[in-house]
Order: sequence, then C-alpha cells, then structure tokens
Amino acid sequence: MVTFAQYLRRSATYKVFSAIVSDMVVFMSTMGQIAQMGLRMLKRIMIDGIQFKELFVQCERFGISSLPITLSIVGMTSIIVSSQVANEMVKQGGSGLIGMLMTILTVREVGVIMSGFAITSMIGSSLASELATMRVTEQVDAIDVLGVDSVGYLFTPRVLSGILMMPVIVIIASVFGIILGGVASNIFSGLSYRAYFTSVWLGLFMKDLWVCLAKAAVFGGTIALISCTCGYFAKGGAKGVGLATTKAVVWSFISIVIWDMIFAMLFFF
Amino acid sequence: MSIEVKNLIKSFEDKVVINDISFNVNDGEVLAIVGFSGSGKSTVLKLISGLIPYDNGEIITSEGDIAMVFQYSALFDSLNVFENISFALRERKDLRKLYTEEQLHEIVAQKLELVGLQGIENKYPSELSGGMQKRVSFARAIVTKPNTILYDEPTAGLDPMSSTLIEDYIVSLKHEINAASIVVTHQMSTITRTADRVIMLYDGKIVFEGTPDELLRQDTPYTKQFVTASLEGPMQMKA
Repeated sequence: MVTFAQYLRRSATYKVFSAIVSDMVVFMSTMGQIAQMGLRMLKRIMIDGIQFKELFVQCERFGISSLPITLSIVGMTSIIVSSQVANEMVKQGGSGLIGMLMTILTVREVGVIMSGFAITSMIGSSLASELATMRVTEQVDAIDVLGVDSVGYLFTPRVLSGILMMPVIVIIASVFGIILGGVASNIFSGLSYRAYFTSVWLGLFMKDLWVCLAKAAVFGGTIALISCTCGYFAKGGAKGVGLATTKAVVWSFISIVIWDMIFAMLFFF
Repeated sequence: MSIEVKNLIKSFEDKVVINDISFNVNDGEVLAIVGFSGSGKSTVLKLISGLIPYDNGEIITSEGDIAMVFQYSALFDSLNVFENISFALRERKDLRKLYTEEQLHEIVAQKLELVGLQGIENKYPSELSGGMQKRVSFARAIVTKPNTILYDEPTAGLDPMSSTLIEDYIVSLKHEINAASIVVTHQMSTITRTADRVIMLYDGKIVFEGTPDELLRQDTPYTKQFVTASLEGPMQMKA
C-alpha cells in the first residue's frame, strides 16, 4: 500500500520541485561565499593596498586575450540582428532609422551582454580553473603559510582588472558591432553606408553610454569575483576543478542576466 | 618551547579526526609524526600552520614564522624559481620594502646554493624533476628564517637518493637555523635519519611516543605492527 507521502515523493513534480529548492540553496550559499570573499578582498585592499604589477598582468589577460572572441561574438550577433531587422525596416520605409536602432540595441544590450557572455566563457572559466587547480595542488595553502593573504593576492588584481577592462572591451566591441551592422545592412538590404551611419548618431544618448559603462564594470567585477570564488573553494582533484569551472560559468551567466534586469528596471522603466 | 600542543581536538562534520592529543617540540628538535594513512598526521600540520581552525585545545608556537614544505611541493607553477623563492619577501607587507631587487637575487642564490641547485632561477617548476621541486620548496620555506618548520611527507614519491638528500637537508636545517621541526612521514629511513623523537597516531590519538630506537625495538603492539607493516594488530585500515 503506497501512502500519499510516498506517492508524492515519487512524483515528477516533487522531484522537479526538490531539485529547484536544492539549486536555490546552493545558489544562496554560493552568493554568501561570493559576498564574503568580496568583503574580505575590500578589507585587504584597505590594509595592503594594490599591487599594480600584478594588476597590469591581469588587465592584459582580461583585455587583450579576450578581445578576439568578444569581437567575433558581438560582431556576429550584430550581423544577425541587422540582417533580420534591416529588410523589414526597408520594406516599411524606415531605412533611415536602421542605424539608430542598431546603435540603441548595441549600446544598451547586445554589446554589453554578449561581451559578458564571451568574457565569462573565456576569462571566467580560465580564472575559476586556475584558482581551483591552485587550491587542489595546495598552492593556495602555500600562499597563506608564507604569510601572504591568499584572497588579497589572488582576488584583488583579478577582480579589479575585470572592473577596469570590461568597459574598454565593451566600447570596442560595441563600435565594432555597430560598424558590422552597417556592413550587413548594406549587403543584405542594399542600405547605403551614408544612410546607415548618418542615423547611427541619432541613437547615441549620453545616458545610454554611462549606463553601458557602469553595467560593463559591474559585469566585469561580478564575473571575476564569482569565478575566483568558485575556484578558491574547489575541493577534490580534477573533478573538483571541472565542477568549480562549471559552477563559475553558470553562476556568472545567471548573475549577468540578473544585473541586466536590475539595470533595465533602474534606468529604462 | 617552540611548539606546544595541548588537548587538541578537530572534527570534520561528525568524524573526530584529532582526539585530544598533546605534545611539544623544542627548538632545534625534529619530531616525526607517523601512522597509517588517514590517522590525522597531515591534519595536525594544517592545524599548527593555521590553515584550518581547531575545535578545542591549544597550540602555542614561539614568535616568528612558521614554514611548511608540502607533500607535492606546491610550487607556484606560473612563477619561476626566483619568483617562487622570493615570493614572501616580495608580497608580504612587512617584508616587501626591506629588500632591493639585487638583494632578493642574492638571497635566492644563497638559498638555492644551500639546497644544491645553483643557477636555476629562471626555470619554471614544470621544467624541474620531483626531487628538484622539493628542494626548491625547501628553499622557499626557509627564506623568511622561520623558527618552526613543518614537513608534510617530504620524501614521499622520491627515489632513494633524492630521499637521502632531502633527509640530509632536514638535519642540516635543524642545525643551521635551530628551528623546531615536525616531519610527517611513512618512510622508516626518514624517521631514523632525521627524527629525535617520534609520535604515532592512530584514530586521532597518540598511541606511541618515544625515540626512533624505541620505535624500532617494537616493544608495543602498535610499534610492532607499524615497523613490520603487518595487517595483523591493533591498527585496522579504514575503508
């Protein structure tokens, strides 16, 4: 005889619900760890200051090495969007507004969000696996035993480089995306470059630019902080490194979307 | 007294790993901690070095630095040998402004000479053999002139000659810097060649304390089982 409680426990709804609750618990505990690490890092900055040599190394890694993949993703997304939109706009007599539309879309969303995803895949995963490997091979313990605070040493330059470099990457990627949008509009819809780039300026607002830069800095810092935290708390061997990297990428993606929603609600409603 | 451990207790979740142990190590003395895998030897080192907090008890170390030589060397693989050895001198707030770049090179060269590895400052850990990595990690550990040195399985996985070399370094460091040292090991040669005293852990408790000679005499069921590496005896391997 199966009781109601047993039946409930076996049901698919119960399993899905318990999986969601368990994921939420993991998410909340990870967020707690991230906040704790963020505060510990700020404390170390106040006490120890910033090691600029290591900061430059990380800025180079964050900025230069990630640029090709970020440009590719933002550029291809712009081509896809403009090829979809430009044809319809031309048919409806709105060809003079394609440049404006692409600029608004790129500056407000496409540039920053696609860069965020590209940086997460490339830099976030690399930061998480680097720190996780250092953790499982006792290199993090060695830093602490040598009397250096491992959070200050590992987190500060990486998170600061994210905050500083992400806006630069987003600006370059957005400009690249807008230009490629024009090229795609010309190829797919026959829109002249002059008509496209004249209307680009109509879609450029100072508020959008400031929000875009602020969002980029927040995304960059968040990706680096989450990735470093996931790597720092890795356990076990190779499997632990893999899990930490996956966790870093998943939480970074989710955090980017949550931050984007917060920015949209704060500035565009 | 350089290291004094009193009634130390440590649990991980529900499992008691270190169960009320007390011991001490004097300056210039080497204490070997032995026991089968999972007996809590490495945990004792992590507790003394402050890497993990203890639940109860007391650890008193004399003022000064604690250094640790890790089982797998734990060299920073993105840094070269010079950067590894000078790491604490360059990164620690209280030390970073004390030395010029030239002095750092001089100190690193001295430490490398001490471990018999001159001229490898620009090599990366991946370019070194296991024995060389271990010797570089020795040099890194003693660069801050510590008065407590912890060795976690310093000769594990090394060939007999490299093991002898490492054991000689432990003894020579004992004389040179008069540090209190703890060596966690399984290897009989390391125990007999380096240790002044030995404690044996089983199930988180000290089941033997004495000199290496007393250990080899096999006067107790625990020492007999350990020295003869027998499966029969009071110590059971945990699954």
